Amino acid sequence: MKKAVGKKSERTAAYIFVLPAVILLAAFLIYPALQTVRYAFTNYNIMRPDRITFCGLDNFIEIFQDKDFWKAFTNTLYFTVLVVPFQTVLALALALLISSRRKGVSIFRAAYFSPQVTSMVVVAILWTVMYNSNPESGLLNALLVKLGFEPSGFLNDPDTAMNSIIFMSAWQGAGYQMMIFLAGLQGIPRDQYEAASIDGAGKLKSFLYVTLPGLKNVIKYVVMITVIQAMKLFTQPYVMTKGGPQNSTRTMVYYVYEQGLQKRNFGYACAVAAIFFVIVVILSLGMKKLIKAD
Amino acid sequence: MNQKQKKILGNVAFYVGNTVIGLIFVSPLIWMVASSLKPEAEIFKNLNSLSTFIPSNASFDNYLEVFQRIDMWKYILNSLFYVFVIIILDLIVNSICGYALAKFEFRGRNALLTLVISLMVFPAEAIMLPLYREVADLGWINEWAGLIVPFIAKCFSIYMFRQFFLDIPNDLLEAASIDGCGPIKTFFRVVMPISGTVYATIFILDFVAHWNDFMWPLLVVTGEEKRTIQLAIQTFFGSKPINYAPIMASLTISAIPMLIMFIVLQKYYVEGIASTGIKG
Amino acid sequence: MKKRAIVLLSAVSMMGIMLTGCKDAEERVNADGESVITVWSPSDEPAIEQWWVDKINEFNAAHEGSIELRREAIVRADSYAYEDKINAAITSNDLPDILYVDGPTVSVYAANEIIQPLDDMFTQEDWDDFLDSNKEQGTYNGKIYAIGATESSVALYYNKDMLDSIGVTAPDKLEDAWTWSEFKEIVKALTKDGVVGTNIIMDKGEGLPYVLEQFWISNGTDFVSEDGSTANGYVNSPEGVEAAAFLNSLIQEGYANIDPIQKEFHNGKAATMLGGSWEVATLEKDYPDLNWGVTYFPVADGGIPTSPTGDWAAAVTRDVQDLEAAKEVMNFLMSKENVATYAQAIAKPPTRNSSYEVLPEYNEYPRSLFKQQLMETGHPRPRTPSYSVLSASYAEAMVNIFTGVDPQEALDEVAEKTDRDYQKYYANN
Repeated sequence: MKKAVGKKSERTAAYIFVLPAVILLAAFLIYPALQTVRYAFTNYNIMRPDRITFCGLDNFIEIFQDKDFWKAFTNTLYFTVLVVPFQTVLALALALLISSRRKGVSIFRAAYFSPQVTSMVVVAILWTVMYNSNPESGLLNALLVKLGFEPSGFLNDPDTAMNSIIFMSAWQGAGYQMMIFLAGLQGIPRDQYEAASIDGAGKLKSFLYVTLPGLKNVIKYVVMITVIQAMKLFTQPYVMTKGGPQNSTRTMVYYVYEQGLQKRNFGYACAVAAIFFVIVVILSLGMKKLIKAD
Repeated sequence: MNQKQKKILGNVAFYVGNTVIGLIFVSPLIWMVASSLKPEAEIFKNLNSLSTFIPSNASFDNYLEVFQRIDMWKYILNSLFYVFVIIILDLIVNSICGYALAKFEFRGRNALLTLVISLMVFPAEAIMLPLYREVADLGWINEWAGLIVPFIAKCFSIYMFRQFFLDIPNDLLEAASIDGCGPIKTFFRVVMPISGTVYATIFILDFVAHWNDFMWPLLVVTGEEKRTIQLAIQTFFGSKPINYAPIMASLTISAIPMLIMFIVLQKYYVEGIASTGIKG
Repeated sequence: MKKRAIVLLSAVSMMGIMLTGCKDAEERVNADGESVITVWSPSDEPAIEQWWVDKINEFNAAHEGSIELRREAIVRADSYAYEDKINAAITSNDLPDILYVDGPTVSVYAANEIIQPLDDMFTQEDWDDFLDSNKEQGTYNGKIYAIGATESSVALYYNKDMLDSIGVTAPDKLEDAWTWSEFKEIVKALTKDGVVGTNIIMDKGEGLPYVLEQFWISNGTDFVSEDGSTANGYVNSPEGVEAAAFLNSLIQEGYANIDPIQKEFHNGKAATMLGGSWEVATLEKDYPDLNWGVTYFPVADGGIPTSPTGDWAAAVTRDVQDLEAAKEVMNFLMSKENVATYAQAIAKPPTRNSSYEVLPEYNEYPRSLFKQQLMETGHPRPRTPSYSVLSASYAEAMVNIFTGVDPQEALDEVAEKTDRDYQKYYANN
């Protein structure tokens, strides 16, 4: 903690500095969020803003019997639990691949990063075409068949749809985390590697005993931001699968959109959102602990 | 195998490996660009072979069609305008807040930090309608304010700025204070000028996020006057039959500004992520 | 110094942005004292955008001093974006005077009193001239709430060369339309050499109920009851399950792709296609080398000849201020002449019988076939205030059936979800 310098002027400055952000957050994030919670206890149908009536816990009771909701809940967890390690390892591998000081590294770096500069909507449309389940027309399936594998249903098979979205999401997002790892790798002192090599450590050992410990904080940070993104998964199911087939890609945020806007069941959607908030708050408290641990 | 051979082999492995993996990463984008140069009837032909990545008789007809059909320049300018205003205000509002959280002692600091971190995970989709109602009550439907004001303050930006400012040595700030700078002056005179990397990083992140905005502009913008580029692209999906040639061309067009932005700011970006990231 | 100036400038511009926001969303009377009538319709092809510009100029010139017509082009994406926009406008009371809506959503808006009956807006002579399919689409509880200028239909496109290769000629009379079992035999024979027998619309969205409801109707049932109050016993009736099982057999036996590529038929990868009337123009323009024809929508064995209809239509909202002016605009937009010019610009069949007199292309094959279907076998989508739930649940259920769920189980769920929505919001008022 920093030692206080000119305490009073600093406090005044602090309030001036946080005020604009606090006002804007209160007005355009917290206030609508509270409204959402309020509507969670009503039967608000979008078509009838003039006929909103309080209905107590009805929405919540319905939610607990709603198998679509529970599927959305477990799908979101499944996605998060799988995509986070996959994307993190992929990002780290890419970072290691281009961490050497050779010519042309910046070109490869730009290539790995390029999916990031393209909108997720575009990326999702492109992958939908590539994932086509018919080897006659799908690039990936054509490749599988050429390599002697069975074609996969990808997005049209409930067993593979979510995994296909996970793969695509990791591909799209890994470039960003790669950048963070690159920065982290630069921060590991060279002499540690030299010391390890004098001790007779091979490549694998020096990775395990020097690189990984040196990246501890970076990995924590990467995991945190990936979890945040993963919990909010929406665009991919919205563009690619509409939550199907057989409920396999419906996520919490997509369910909120689907119930609230598309099916106009707004009060109910708000109740789902409220539950989502609770999960998120628990999660972020855990994350704060993680960050504080350093 | 001697040292030299080893080195050559290492180089070959490096370039071949990276080229292959790099191609896998850019191939969907290449497909987008290649398709944008093909006539409609060619796009969905031969999808299962590599020739789908190579337009056999490339032409810019699709681009011409896009510019003839819709007022693309206007929509690009609209998007650039509102995205830049959001970014500039974001950089100011969130950096000062992040700085206060990093360097000032005040009551409520921890509470605010917890709040910022919790709200980071907040999905905008969940509050879309209450937010819309609020914006409508303010009279901001079809106004720039409706597109801009709700998205200035961002928890993620505040957090990134805080992480960066934590690293600024206190000695530097104390020196400024001894020179007679108040805390506010110190920020603008001393801290801001040495923090280019973090500003550049947030700049890119914001740009990517808002350039791709679709749902919110759709709700807020009526008619054609303030239409954004993403809305304009969606007009090609609207009427049946859907023709993919102009869609691919307009998607390519919309990726160009982001690509330029990334190339220009790439250097700062890496450093910026580095400086905010490793702190954890 | 420079930095402070930038900060100051930004602060000022922020205030400026906030201040410009204070103005009424919808202007009702303009500076010249004319009633302003605002129309919302989907943004469309250049020809239609131009039609609007020309017609608005024409109308405003003729009504100088009394009415000013304005139109806002609303982006209609491939999903439900336009409806999201209307939802938002309802939330904040920002509806225009005249609203274009997609056919099956008329009941939703009518049941919620978002739009109002049009029965008094047109003369009996006009009403008689409109096609029944379009009036039916716009009817809710015995009153007409919306009327459009154009219609759509779906028929069976086929690849002539491929049909020749198996020695089959397509029927050219309605009464000879292929039955389901004939259809299946033919697509079975056509499935070979990497070409599938047929293409079923698989957009995971509105296209599924639009095209596939006809299989239910043809088999003697429908999606919902006549009054729209229940789906149970209709969409999941034995006839409905049979229809779903028939469609599923086409997929499972490999005669149609569950995941067809775009333009599968156009590129010669599918031998037939249940395609919309709008495909004629695309095929003529972009695929001149394809030797294609079109025949009637297949009929259930011993079933009812039927075909999909429906298109966007104009409705007058509850927020209209000057009803007389809105009536004037509606009569202008749906006049004999304008229905014909609009239909011509958008290359879709018009909704007035008289318009076909000035559009001779509809007397010639292939367009004549769509016209005949429209007039003789057309059925609009189900009219129920719970349509949004029905449509989304149905699309989902069909994908589920095609990926292995039991048809009865999947369709029961559609009925249950639809009826739950109806019970919750519409049964008691």
